[in-house]
Amino acid sequence: MRRPGRSRAFPVLGALWRLNAAEELQYRANFVASFASTVFYLLTALLTLSLFFRHTTSLGGWDFWEVVVLLGVFNALSGLVEAVLRPGIGDLAAQVRSGNLDLVLSRPVDAQVFVSFRHIDIWRLADILLGLGVSAYALGHLGRFPDAVQIIAFFVTLVAAAGVVYAIWVILMSLAFWFVSVENIATLFDAVFEGARYPVSAYPAALRFLFFYLLPIAWTTTIPASALTGRLSVPTAFAAGLVGAGALAFSRLLWRAAIRRYTGASS
Amino acid sequence: MTAAPARLWARRYGALMRNAWMVDLQYRASIVLWVLWGVMEPAIALGIWWSIAGNGAVGGYTRTDFARYFFALTLINQLTIAWDSWYLDRWIREGDLNFKLPRPLHPVHEAIADNIAYKARSAGTLLLIWVVVSLVWPAVRLPFAPATFAITAGAVVLAAMMRFLISFTTGLLAFWTTRATSIMELHAGISLFLSGRIAPLSLLPPAVAGVAGWLWFPYMLAFPVDVLTGAAHGPALWTGFRGQLIWIAVWLVLCRTAWKAGIKRYGAAGG
Repeated sequence: MRRPGRSRAFPVLGALWRLNAAEELQYRANFVASFASTVFYLLTALLTLSLFFRHTTSLGGWDFWEVVVLLGVFNALSGLVEAVLRPGIGDLAAQVRSGNLDLVLSRPVDAQVFVSFRHIDIWRLADILLGLGVSAYALGHLGRFPDAVQIIAFFVTLVAAAGVVYAIWVILMSLAFWFVSVENIATLFDAVFEGARYPVSAYPAALRFLFFYLLPIAWTTTIPASALTGRLSVPTAFAAGLVGAGALAFSRLLWRAAIRRYTGASS
Repeated sequence: MTAAPARLWARRYGALMRNAWMVDLQYRASIVLWVLWGVMEPAIALGIWWSIAGNGAVGGYTRTDFARYFFALTLINQLTIAWDSWYLDRWIREGDLNFKLPRPLHPVHEAIADNIAYKARSAGTLLLIWVVVSLVWPAVRLPFAPATFAITAGAVVLAAMMRFLISFTTGLLAFWTTRATSIMELHAGISLFLSGRIAPLSLLPPAVAGVAGWLWFPYMLAFPVDVLTGAAHGPALWTGFRGQLIWIAVWLVLCRTAWKAGIKRYGAAGG
């Protein structure tokens, strides 16, 4: 039998995304609501930051606008979570419980790719642009314009960050194969990801250790923002790439193990 | 409703709370997750203030003061938090309210009993965590002061009543709009600063803290926290309790008005 080809997954996903977009375009008011809520959250984050900076001149060695660069990266990654991960892989637990996953597995496409990317909340993609815009604005304020190498390092580390975030979601959601009622498990991600709002160096040693090695959110925002502000050394950029690739590989292995264990909801 | 004897009400609440406790028992894992979510925000704020304070003090707060403040905040937030606006929004939009209305007891009693059962479980867990942590981390130990604990209990009960009324009232907005939860999130966003969740109120810019003093936010959280840590004493206690009582009265009137108007409208819409 032919193995489910990845090459076939992409035309299928393309068709799904077109349908998705056509459906969402009917509800344009949702765009206004989603955009307004993002702007509101960004505003509260900026106010929180200026409150901290009323009492200090730097957070873990980062000055105000440098942390705003990081905040932009945080917003872009949250946009990715809301647009792609939460409606996609985030729905896995519900699919395991309802048995809909059986229908996915019987299709001739790669199940992990299909489950992860079949549904995209297109309005939330605007958050990614908004976040990158905030980072760019803050860089302008700093009067620092990253050179080509820094921009390449930024995109490499940002993609690695997306890989880490995706892997965390796959790991959390795969728990659904072992424990059925984990539908609120995404809350765990939300709680921990809050920590990525600030540079890891701003935390006491214990939290820093936690964020670098145990819940690797340090790699998600601090590292790409460091690339933009010129704090990133080449070895760290390589390490970030490796962490991203490692996280993806691990999520793949875990998915395989979970699927092997899965026996279906019916019968 | 005619004035029912206290025994009858005790029995009713006993039954409602037993029921709520049993329902929560099925969702133990989700409750742990929500508690964890409630712990992360103050933990991060504490981490940042801890670094900023260094070995000195920020606005009179040393590292130890921040640690006590945010531990007290975490516990009291869990004791006073109310999710009712989300429940009501769903009840109204999806019609679950229909099944609650014909019952001989006002749905608000079920909501109150749910709150008591939920808080007993989640805050009990947190209190236990605090006691264990304080064994190994002296910074978060509070002096044993039964009088302070008793006054704190009073302030916590009032704060819980007020947050319940606010949550219930904003939930009732679902009678009129499909975005009632957005209003609650807006309220939560403002309370981040004005109720002391991100920092003790004295660290806010004086103008902002001044505005907060004219609103209900500080009485939701900051006041009971200050009572527990000992930051509020003497005349501040008197102002605090007075503020809590005034704002409870205001929200009670708003809640009753919204309920009456909403139910009328709901009936009309349901046909």
